[in-house]
Amino acid sequence: MSNTQVSSQRIAGSRIASLKSWGQGFFWAILLIYALLTLYPLIWLIISAFKTNSEFFSRPFGLPEVWHFDNFVRAWKSSKMATSFFNSVIVSVVSLVLTLLLSALVSYVLARFKFRLKGWTMVFFIIGMLIPIHSTLVPLFILMKQMSILNTYWALILPYTAFAMPTAIFVLTAYLATIPKDIEEAAYIDGTGLWGVFFRIMLPMSLPALSTVTILTFLHSWNDFSFALVFISKSTLKTLPLSISMFADGFQTDYSLTLAAMTLSVLPTILVFLLFQEQVMKGMTAGAVKG
Amino acid sequence: MNASRVRRFIAAALLPSVILYALFVFVPVIWSAYYSFFNWSGIGEAKYIGFQNYAELIRDSVFWHSLKNNVIFVLASILGQVPIALVLAILLHKSNALQRFMRASIFMPMVLSSVVIGMIWQYIYHPQIGILNFLLDALGLGSWKMQWLSDPDISIYALLPPLIWNFVGLYLIIFISALQNIPSEIHDAAKIDGVSGARKLFTITLPMIWGTIQVAIILCISGSLKSFDLVYVMTKGGPAHATELLATYMYNSTFSTYRYGYGSAISTAIVLISLLFIGTSQWLTRRKAD
Repeated sequence: MSNTQVSSQRIAGSRIASLKSWGQGFFWAILLIYALLTLYPLIWLIISAFKTNSEFFSRPFGLPEVWHFDNFVRAWKSSKMATSFFNSVIVSVVSLVLTLLLSALVSYVLARFKFRLKGWTMVFFIIGMLIPIHSTLVPLFILMKQMSILNTYWALILPYTAFAMPTAIFVLTAYLATIPKDIEEAAYIDGTGLWGVFFRIMLPMSLPALSTVTILTFLHSWNDFSFALVFISKSTLKTLPLSISMFADGFQTDYSLTLAAMTLSVLPTILVFLLFQEQVMKGMTAGAVKG
Repeated sequence: MNASRVRRFIAAALLPSVILYALFVFVPVIWSAYYSFFNWSGIGEAKYIGFQNYAELIRDSVFWHSLKNNVIFVLASILGQVPIALVLAILLHKSNALQRFMRASIFMPMVLSSVVIGMIWQYIYHPQIGILNFLLDALGLGSWKMQWLSDPDISIYALLPPLIWNFVGLYLIIFISALQNIPSEIHDAAKIDGVSGARKLFTITLPMIWGTIQVAIILCISGSLKSFDLVYVMTKGGPAHATELLATYMYNSTFSTYRYGYGSAISTAIVLISLLFIGTSQWLTRRKAD
């Protein structure tokens, strides 16, 4: 091969290489635009919340001239957001604790013991995942009315826990099955009882799986709307999504108030997501990936 | 440790959960089926009317229209969310900072409450102050402006972008996990054999994550059949039932028109239709050996 041949090959090679990297760069630009477009509605919401109503009408795309922080104060007060925040926190935290406790117990038994009805128990909990939750709205309403727990915190805590259990059990059982048996056996030999092993060994060891379940359950309870809509009508007990939906009735014309209220309501979940991105994403897709 | 202590422990561990779960998940479904045979306004006596509710259901054009809308949602999910998420997953499964940012951005709508999502898109679609119509005007496409949510012909289709926006992130992450689970030996073998690009995608990568794609399709179906929050907030099933879904129709029949028996019939129908769809999709996408 002569020198000129080699160098022209090199030039051709590098031309192809630079074409390729141009193509790739273009490609990534498109992807980036897609990602930013996905974020845009949210960004638009937050920016618009700082505008006055007339600004919102006339310049929906621009930045606000004056950043009206008072919109948020008004929204907080007028929708009694302190109350709905509080209600959401109570309902979500209590159902989370219940879910973790009950599901961990069930998962411990399913993962580490053999007994006659084991297979049926698993099927029992898994089948529930296929039931559309809205089919249960009417009968649950009637049931809770007869139990006189409608319009109480339990009206939400109990259904949230019940519906969170299948996924929680699914995730926890899979995790607990991977813990080596020797740890348990050593504890039994030491004289620790079954409950002791559960609380002092199994629970602490399953922290990763517990945090996955926490994210899933908490987000679902926090963002739930249908159950809150049907089971709670007392305004002092409204959870956040329900109280925000009051602004959506189509008669609201104070848009800056509504936008500010909406922004306030999504702030906690966005913050949690930004801080714990990987865990949130993994947690919410847990149970859907085979293997 | 004697056997009876272990048995008692197992019982104690399982009982509270089983009772709670049975009471709040299974009993309602069965009760719903029971109430569907009655005529009941929620208070007073319930009158047994046999299969009349179901007979009415079959003749009810709103029911069939709602079912059609649910099917539109299911198809939009399977043909929209899944392919988009699949393509994005194949492009975005590496670990550098830019890709992490893009994945997080696309996933973000999943953590928002459906109420907020519904309201954001309500504002985007608003005929007077919405940014969609504003944008069309600014681009000189003013003639394309429409009453996105109040035009009976297009409102159901206008509901699809928020739906896709909401859920693409979920499937993206699911597919990325599946792709990352493919053993590296497979990639090495493909390299050695000289298989790459589109051929590798269709003959190796996709078949290897087929199980996950099947699960994604099930999630799409059950999720779309459950759609209630988004539609209820944006249109309440209107205008004139144009965007009615099975779930919203059930809600309206029960709590707005006080026909608990009829609402229960719709509820039961939803469960049966759900099982039918899932069963069919599993059968259609089955593979002979795994």
